[in-house]
Amino acid sequence: MIKSHLDMKLLEKCSQCGACYDICPACLNFAGYDPRAAIKDILEGDYEKWLKSANIWQCLECHYCLEMCYQHYGFENAMTALRTIATKKGYYPAQVKRGWEMFVKTGRLGEPNEGARKRLGLPGAKESGKEEFLKLCELLNKKRKAG
Amino acid sequence: MKEFAVFWGCTIQTRFPFLEKSTRMVMEDFKLPYRDIDGFTCCPEKSLVNNVDHAVFVVTAARNVSLVDELDYDLVSPCTGCVSNLATVKEKLLHDPREKETVNRLLKEVEREFKGRAKLSHLVPFFHDTVGVYRIKQKIKRDFSGMRLAVHYGCHMIRPSHALKNDDPLEPKKFDNLLRALGAASMDYMTKMTCCGQGLDRVDQHDNALHLAREKLIELRKLGADAMVLCCPSCFLQFDNNQFLMAKEGEKLSTPVLYFTELLGLALGHSPEELGIDKHRVDCTPFLEKWASLREKPPWEKGLEEALNLPGALT
Repeated sequence: MIKSHLDMKLLEKCSQCGACYDICPACLNFAGYDPRAAIKDILEGDYEKWLKSANIWQCLECHYCLEMCYQHYGFENAMTALRTIATKKGYYPAQVKRGWEMFVKTGRLGEPNEGARKRLGLPGAKESGKEEFLKLCELLNKKRKAG
Repeated sequence: MKEFAVFWGCTIQTRFPFLEKSTRMVMEDFKLPYRDIDGFTCCPEKSLVNNVDHAVFVVTAARNVSLVDELDYDLVSPCTGCVSNLATVKEKLLHDPREKETVNRLLKEVEREFKGRAKLSHLVPFFHDTVGVYRIKQKIKRDFSGMRLAVHYGCHMIRPSHALKNDDPLEPKKFDNLLRALGAASMDYMTKMTCCGQGLDRVDQHDNALHLAREKLIELRKLGADAMVLCCPSCFLQFDNNQFLMAKEGEKLSTPVLYFTELLGLALGHSPEELGIDKHRVDCTPFLEKWASLREKPPWEKGLEEALNLPGALT
């Protein structure tokens, strides 16, 4: 399953490198956040244990690893793949679940605070593209079902 | 200057309308050809949407870009995340004709087309490159000389650099240049380039988010920064709101946090209230008072000539 999300050849090299370790804010601050260990497990097909781990959600997507990476790949890709599979299996942090539900329903992560905006003398917020967005999501889902 | 649409993003319009106000005020001052347009959705937020569904992430961003493509506008946003996400997808599609075709086939169903022509910029590099440091210097009424300000770039203002291409991704300069143009000293500090950590607050890891906020705020307090300056609503949430929450628990780190547009607005002569600085949760009064006290001091060159001409002054 995970192979469709990742380039295993690049990941193989990634597991032997570590150019990004000394700059990654999560590596520097959180015990147990060890992307190379996760990558090793992915390569060995033994990544299940990471799916329920809080560690995979600690990647801040600051893209430092991508900038440091000799392959321009970065272990954020591995974290993204693990998160994607985790969410498919229903292992979300509660906030991610709430955020996602709001997003697919409204196309936004919050509605403009019109009361406060009016008090500040701001013009009314422009219309959102909600309808088109919902239609696109529906089309995508249909396409997927059709294979 | 080409007309551009402003991409406000969800966070500013939902939680921080005063940031929208100060942004509009400084854009008006420089008579920038900005437009508000119908039809934008969430950019979408990569760390949420891309993790759950990559295809939805790509098509949503591509649709947002197609709106400005159609009008032949550029796009500018006061949110780092929005620009970074939109630019990431734009770059991806421009380099992957097959995926671009797939996306456009879908967009055609809602009568849109992604071309990827529009230039996408964050407000800070936009002010630096397009408005220009010189024009800013000419326009300001009062500068910040004597103030020590700490820039916090925000990861997504500059990274991923292959998509944004606007500054050095490891040692950026443009935000610092703008602060210097406003007469302030832009401080160098150890944790300057560290991520704010706000993302952790969105995955049920509030304590870890505070841990990263603390790291930077403690350093800035030790160094005696007058304020932190940033231009990202997510970083603002982290350093203003979370700092306030820490203070409520007895941990007073007391570093005012200013949005770039507020700092610029002050320099252009607007009052803190007009700019909405009184709506921050961390009190900005110490910063404003120090700035006011500097106004009362005589300029450094006053009396210098007489002093130098006193007998024995230079021996």
